Amino acid sequence: MMRTIDVIQYAYKQAPWRVQRQWIGSFLLIVLGLSMIAALYLDVTARAALAGRDIQRLGADIIQTQESDADLETRIAILTSYSAMASRALALNYQSVQSNQVQFIVVPGYIAPQPDNLISAPALQPSTPTIQPEYAQSLLDWFDQRLHMPLSISMLGASQ
Amino acid sequence: MREQYAWRSLVLAGILAFVGVSVILQIIRIQTSPEAATFRQQAAQYAETVQTFYPERGEIYDRNGHLLAGNETVFEIGVDLKNVKDKHAVALAVGMELGLNPNELYRLMANPPASLAYLILANYVDSDKALALQQLKIDADEKAPLGQPSDLSGLEFTPHPQRTYPEGSLASNVIGFVSREGRGYFGIEEKYNDLLAGTPIQVQVPVDPNKAADIPQVPNGTTLILTLDRDLQAATEQILDDSLTKYGAQGGTIVIMDPRNGEILAMASTPRMDLNQFWNYPTIYRNASEFNLAVSMPYEPGSVMKILTMAAALDNNTVTPTTTFLDTGSILIGGITIKNWNDQAWGLQDMLGCIQNSLNVCMSWISSQMGAQNFYGYMNRFGLGHLTGIDLADEAAGRLKVPGDTDWSPSDLGTNSFGQGVAATPIQIMMAASAIANNGRMVMPHVLYAMVRDGRQFNVPAQYAGSPISERTAQTLDQMLATSIQNEASLAAVPGYRIAGKTGTAQIPTEGGYDPTNTNASFIGWGPLDDPRFMIYVWLEEPSASIWGSETAAPVFAQVAQETILMLNIPPDTIRQQIAQH
Repeated sequence: MMRTIDVIQYAYKQAPWRVQRQWIGSFLLIVLGLSMIAALYLDVTARAALAGRDIQRLGADIIQTQESDADLETRIAILTSYSAMASRALALNYQSVQSNQVQFIVVPGYIAPQPDNLISAPALQPSTPTIQPEYAQSLLDWFDQRLHMPLSISMLGASQ
Repeated sequence: MREQYAWRSLVLAGILAFVGVSVILQIIRIQTSPEAATFRQQAAQYAETVQTFYPERGEIYDRNGHLLAGNETVFEIGVDLKNVKDKHAVALAVGMELGLNPNELYRLMANPPASLAYLILANYVDSDKALALQQLKIDADEKAPLGQPSDLSGLEFTPHPQRTYPEGSLASNVIGFVSREGRGYFGIEEKYNDLLAGTPIQVQVPVDPNKAADIPQVPNGTTLILTLDRDLQAATEQILDDSLTKYGAQGGTIVIMDPRNGEILAMASTPRMDLNQFWNYPTIYRNASEFNLAVSMPYEPGSVMKILTMAAALDNNTVTPTTTFLDTGSILIGGITIKNWNDQAWGLQDMLGCIQNSLNVCMSWISSQMGAQNFYGYMNRFGLGHLTGIDLADEAAGRLKVPGDTDWSPSDLGTNSFGQGVAATPIQIMMAASAIANNGRMVMPHVLYAMVRDGRQFNVPAQYAGSPISERTAQTLDQMLATSIQNEASLAAVPGYRIAGKTGTAQIPTEGGYDPTNTNASFIGWGPLDDPRFMIYVWLEEPSASIWGSETAAPVFAQVAQETILMLNIPPDTIRQQIAQH
């Protein structure tokens, strides 16, 4: 009777190589899972870093463009300065008009020029500079934020 | 045998596990140790760096949008001494492109101060020159063998902004300048330094590139639009310079103001300086008050002040235009005998004659009839002895001695009436006279037309400094002054336009009394009389061609007035009357 039980037990026992394969499989599954998390983390982090770099580069571009604008404006001002324009006018044989050479006539509807208004229309107000957390946060930062988020907000976020 | 391997494997695994666990335990121990806070603090110090973002200094424009002060990028050129490969090549390239001595540059690089890693070779280099040198370096880098530094390695270029003045010396006495440290000196640059400079912002920037940080939007300094008209300013400066030569004057100033609202249209003064070379300031000016005579240099204005005396007397009902006065050629006031400018007696005069012939005796009589309290009360309300509040740095208040002051004497009541013994700046006299030109209302002179900030333009409204005289008094005196210009066929007259004005010839006080030979020649006038669009003040210091304001300052006024009429497109009286009838 006992021998019969042993035989049955032996018959239903997993083969050693099969147990080994299950262990290896489980281990590989864990490794695969960890690898996927690591890959996801790397992907998100790399994209965040690239976006951050892009923002920094664009910021530098803005400053450079502003400086370039100021340079060009100054160059135009130098080229059209009073002395430069007077020299060009004289070189083209223009002469200064004298008061006795001027004749005023009445022109109905004439509107005298007014001082300059440098702003023709209200400019758009720049919004408060904010970079969305998605562009600046690492996965760990995100976990950290979620863990430290107040429970009510966290639950609200989960329900949405 | 197999058991032996198994045992060894077990031992090895045990050791590795022990090391691993030890590392983890050590990490946990460090994290929870008392020193952990110090470590975190040290790490935090290197995790972020403080960066200061400086706003671009606001620009300055004239009333028609011409740039008077702007910014341009210049370069600091230096060498990283650790990375420089060929000092000779660097010295030669920099020397050739920037016009510097290569030997001197090489000497600097070869013998740098101890512990210096970066050496500045040149600063404030024009972008054209710097970019040419930069291109030379790029070419050298491309020609260098792969992975090897080029002959110009170590050369570094750092751009930074610099204040620049496209018009050079034009309106220099009004604009002022900005030092290399970014601080404004004199004029608008000093008065509105805080507005123009803006507010620098400091932010913590993470070093970790994974942590993108917001770059703050630093608002630029406020842009200012001035009331000055560039072309009129240039013409005024030209006339002033020509007048100094023509009349042999030591210096001078001409100011043009809109008497309706106090806007300064032009303000020329001598000497002037190229603001792009502000370091020449000490060689041009002896002291700060010389930078802008119109606001910083009080002087005894002489007979131009008679218009204020007459205004006060008319307003106070002490006299009327028809009141007569017998001029005997002298009058005793406070123990001092006062005489006329030509030491002559002018006989019976009405008030028009007194002002037209600029009679000191008559004016002294008027002020004595008013009494010190009334006379000084009016002068005080006209703003003499007080700052006008013009928005330019270094304004001087002048000096009006009043009864009660230790240095006031009764004779001052007489001399002050014709502008001696009292010190005022041209801008003070203009502000006071604006009450006469502007129906009794006195305007505050100002140079700022508008401010541009955050994409919006804020215009500066005209401000009034009270009404020292009534509208009727102002109109009466206006007519008297215009008639006197017509009657005496003054050199200040402008054909086609009715102008009101008054000359001034003032003796110059010295330590030992008044200078017997030199005078200050002045003229103040405004027009057209029925709708004043300009008020002009001329002051010529010690003209040698003639000591009289009527022969020097008056014709200069006429010249400036004609130029102003052209620039402001003011039609003659007859045309304006036609327009009014339409």
